[in-house]
Amino acid sequence: MKTAISTLAVECPKHLKHALTLLHESLATERLTPLAGGTDLFVYLNAGSHRGTRFLDLAPCAELRGIKAIKGRLRIGALETFDRIARHPKMAAWPLLVQAARCVGAAQIQNRGTIGGNIANASPAGDSLPVLLAYDALVHVASVRGERTIPFRELQTGYRQLALEADELIVAVELPEVPAGAKQFFRKVGTRAAQSISKVVFAGVLVPGRGGQWSHVRLAWGSMAPITVRSLRAEAALLAHKPSAQAAAWADVALGEDLVPIDDIRSDAEYRLSAARHVLAQFLRSSHAGFRG
Amino acid sequence: MSDGKPTQAPGTPPAGMAIPGNRTMPKEDRLTPPVWEGGRAAPPNGDFRMIGKRNRKVEGLAKVTGRAVYADDLVLPRMLHAKLLRSIHAHARIVSIDASAALALPGVHAVVTGADMPTHFGIIPWTEDEQALCTDKVRYVGDAIAAVAADDERTCEEALKLVRVEYEPLPAVTDIETALAHPEWQVNEKAGEGNISKHVRLEFGDVDGALAASDHVVEGDYWYEGSTHAPLEPHCCVAEFDSTGFLTVWSSTQVAHYLHRDLAKVLNLPTQRVRVIQPVVGGGFGGKSEPFSLEFAAAKLSMVTGRPVKILYTREEVFYAHRGRHPMRLRYRTGMTADGAITGTDALVQLDGGAYSSFGLVTTYYSGQLLTAPYALPAYRFDSTRVFTNKPACGPKRGHGSVQPRFAFECQLDKLCEKAGLDPIEVRRRNFIGERTKTVNGMRVTSNGFLECLDAVERESGWAAKFRRMPYGRGIGVAGSMYISGTNYCIYPNEMPQSAVQLRLDRSGRATVMSGCSDIGQGVESVLAYIVCEELGLDLRDVRVVAADTDLTPVDLGAYSSRETFMVGNACLDAARHLRLKIAQTLAERWGVAAGEIVLANGVACASSDPGRFAISVKEAFQWAEARHGTLGSVGWYQSPKLGGEYRGGTIGASPAYSFTAHVAEVECDPETGFVAVKHIWVAHDCGRALNPVTVEGQMEGSAYMGFGEALLETQRYKDAAPGHAFGLHHGPSLLDYRMPTSLDTPELHALIVESVDPEGPYGAKEAGEGPLHPSIPAIANAIHDALGVRCDALPFDPPSVMRLLRAGEARANWERARAQVGGPR
Repeated sequence: MKTAISTLAVECPKHLKHALTLLHESLATERLTPLAGGTDLFVYLNAGSHRGTRFLDLAPCAELRGIKAIKGRLRIGALETFDRIARHPKMAAWPLLVQAARCVGAAQIQNRGTIGGNIANASPAGDSLPVLLAYDALVHVASVRGERTIPFRELQTGYRQLALEADELIVAVELPEVPAGAKQFFRKVGTRAAQSISKVVFAGVLVPGRGGQWSHVRLAWGSMAPITVRSLRAEAALLAHKPSAQAAAWADVALGEDLVPIDDIRSDAEYRLSAARHVLAQFLRSSHAGFRG
Repeated sequence: MSDGKPTQAPGTPPAGMAIPGNRTMPKEDRLTPPVWEGGRAAPPNGDFRMIGKRNRKVEGLAKVTGRAVYADDLVLPRMLHAKLLRSIHAHARIVSIDASAALALPGVHAVVTGADMPTHFGIIPWTEDEQALCTDKVRYVGDAIAAVAADDERTCEEALKLVRVEYEPLPAVTDIETALAHPEWQVNEKAGEGNISKHVRLEFGDVDGALAASDHVVEGDYWYEGSTHAPLEPHCCVAEFDSTGFLTVWSSTQVAHYLHRDLAKVLNLPTQRVRVIQPVVGGGFGGKSEPFSLEFAAAKLSMVTGRPVKILYTREEVFYAHRGRHPMRLRYRTGMTADGAITGTDALVQLDGGAYSSFGLVTTYYSGQLLTAPYALPAYRFDSTRVFTNKPACGPKRGHGSVQPRFAFECQLDKLCEKAGLDPIEVRRRNFIGERTKTVNGMRVTSNGFLECLDAVERESGWAAKFRRMPYGRGIGVAGSMYISGTNYCIYPNEMPQSAVQLRLDRSGRATVMSGCSDIGQGVESVLAYIVCEELGLDLRDVRVVAADTDLTPVDLGAYSSRETFMVGNACLDAARHLRLKIAQTLAERWGVAAGEIVLANGVACASSDPGRFAISVKEAFQWAEARHGTLGSVGWYQSPKLGGEYRGGTIGASPAYSFTAHVAEVECDPETGFVAVKHIWVAHDCGRALNPVTVEGQMEGSAYMGFGEALLETQRYKDAAPGHAFGLHHGPSLLDYRMPTSLDTPELHALIVESVDPEGPYGAKEAGEGPLHPSIPAIANAIHDALGVRCDALPFDPPSVMRLLRAGEARANWERARAQVGGPR
């Protein structure tokens, strides 16, 4: 624990545009590290693994706040905390994000940690990230050159790497409307009930089409690969099929090919995969009562 | 004994390990505490008014309002900060240390290394194998090498990077097997041979005959992974060496007295020129019960710089300081008759001690000696070997040495009950050792409320309706245990009291208790205050406790082996009772009544025959007594009776009183993920008498919680060699990755106090701080068997381990078979 952090400098912008300018200008010397809730950054600072000494406090940027529904879609400001997200009435149509928000760290972390920060930190174990994949979320980013929108799926490029320019800031997350009748499921398998980094995080969306076949399938996983991933083979095994034990079995086999989890101090690969299969089976059972006895 | 030869007195070293100059007093001269009319258990003023009531803790308000002063809150003028340089190798020779660049850094005031204080020390005088800072070798990743004092911590860290250490790496020994297989890779040169830290083999009765004659014999291998204490407050100390050559050290320690002795020894100072003060401590659990590098380093740096020096360990360093629960590999063979009587037990135990001895000599004995109650063991043998490995040293953690064998043994019992088709609670009752008896290894048992404990958990848990009667995935399990209320010997041999109190009464109506006792949150300062209030009729506000300051307080050995309430409580009771008698005599003389009539209660002193006529305030009573007798002060001390078996090591495990515990745990398991949720633990504990039921319940719940965490969550592992690090790096030295249960994980804990009223405890009290931990782990293991049909013989019972067990065996069939024994719903 470092008791003196007086060698660090924090820039306080007046608004988003000012923040973007400061960030851009900082590239000439030492890049400012954006600071939102600080729940990851402070840990890195204490551990000595963050070498930067200059920070950009995002708190004054009102443009980064707010949860708004627009024509069935939802826009969540990057600075919105998990606690605010979990409590917001508009979130009812996107229940997986509420559940994920309630799984992040514990109450103190949820009060500070932001959705933008969760994306920017880009941990493969980020609790909200599989939900963003499952919902086909879009991420709005901005720089001095203007705004652009990137599907979350394309934003992640590698372990803790994002397709962002060094002077871009995450502004908001946009969630499309969830198709009517969708079955939704979230599960975090951690070692303990709070303050836990997940062994497996799962977010799933299944939409039954006319005739009963699944017409839309999203199975998204955290902690199973260097980035948050969808299990595309397992999705394909379910898509256009009716709920059945056979389809579930195919999906189970396909999942084993989709996911090649890692061994680390939090879990071993064998357990991760076995837990993932059980989570998927649980989702499929809950989505269709007749699936398995 | 004028020839200085060791005798069989308490504290005598095992043969061949005598300390030069050790002179023990003749047996008949040993101190004996006073005998009080009516005994120690009786209330002094008719009824209990303070004892047994739900009173506040004396320091509680300061703690909850953030005003309690911990070591890290202390700031002295001109104070420097210091940090330790720690080894990156698990095992290496130190070729050279060059601190010149660090010393040249602006803001750095001094660097000290092992060469500045090479004297070996160790909590157990027969195994002094540690140095404040390593001189020739490092023995684990995190072993301390040098210390830097600077203006602030940041400068210290920069300076540490500039200290150049040249290492010559040596083969690292990271487990028991390697330690035994490679004696030539010697971890600790103080070992007698190879990597053997201590070996104990004791046999009582004919074990082989007993097992051969048994109807059922179960043999099992168990693995206890070990765990660490993780107190909320990291180790911290401030040292000040003043211009007169007097050293004061404030430290978050549980053993101010032992620290006092070792500081003087290692720093080569006269003991009387060293003062140790224990500020408020934020938890210890055994992890602060010996001196650590920081205290020596801060003191030495203060001596070198002439300025006060503070060292605060990081959380990571607390993991390296460790002294936590030993990993143990245990093999048990246990026999039983067809009707459920235990016949004999044969135990083979290996302890992974880490790099240094710590309390290991005692741990090795405890791994066998503390198993001999609450069940009668007609024949018992244990063979325990502690080895050195290149990991942080293990030592005493809550339930020192006996939690691991208790886990194995109680699981053995459950398996035997299953084999014999008997109810596990009934079998435990049948084997009850009784009260006022002796164990097979010669330990004296006084009060024993174990049967009441069993009754309580059976009744409260609804055992009869649940055991073998719940659906697959849900289960219930039982376990029992015993523990010591202090040991009857001091860690260094001497015949002086183990605890002492000086009590002062002031004419303002206030009492001040001074004692070397160590309050680490367990509430011993409150216990002293309650006792004084009870004896003298004072309000809790009018008793001040001054504790653990070697300048101001008489010696108490510290907070370990659950000794404080029993020993310093007795000392305090005597001190208070002496003064109570003086006051009673004064009043009786003035009023012309019998001294036995005098009652001191609720701030009033009166004669029970005519309280309307003969009554004054306690404050006035103090003044009358002071006028009659002079300044009012008294002392009390405690020395345990001579106890233990008449054999080598027979005093280790001997205690003036034993506590007893029974747990029932109820679990819900997910057979698909291997996840075990403990829903309830019913904890019944015989604490003799609960001096304050709230704090006793707190200890019971805290203990059960800690055992539950060890059983299911906490993993104490060291990494294999990998790119970037060598063998023996702790897998996750942080509170994020060392996963202790949160409040959301914690089961409903039901504390059920049982009071057997011990004849020798203060008002009949025994320990409550460590005993209630033991049965948590086996009760959960046995409940998992009832739920799933698998036997969890290795800790922790985490989901991957449970899944492996479910996959490996015919869990469901085993479950059905166990169920069929009961014969349908009752």
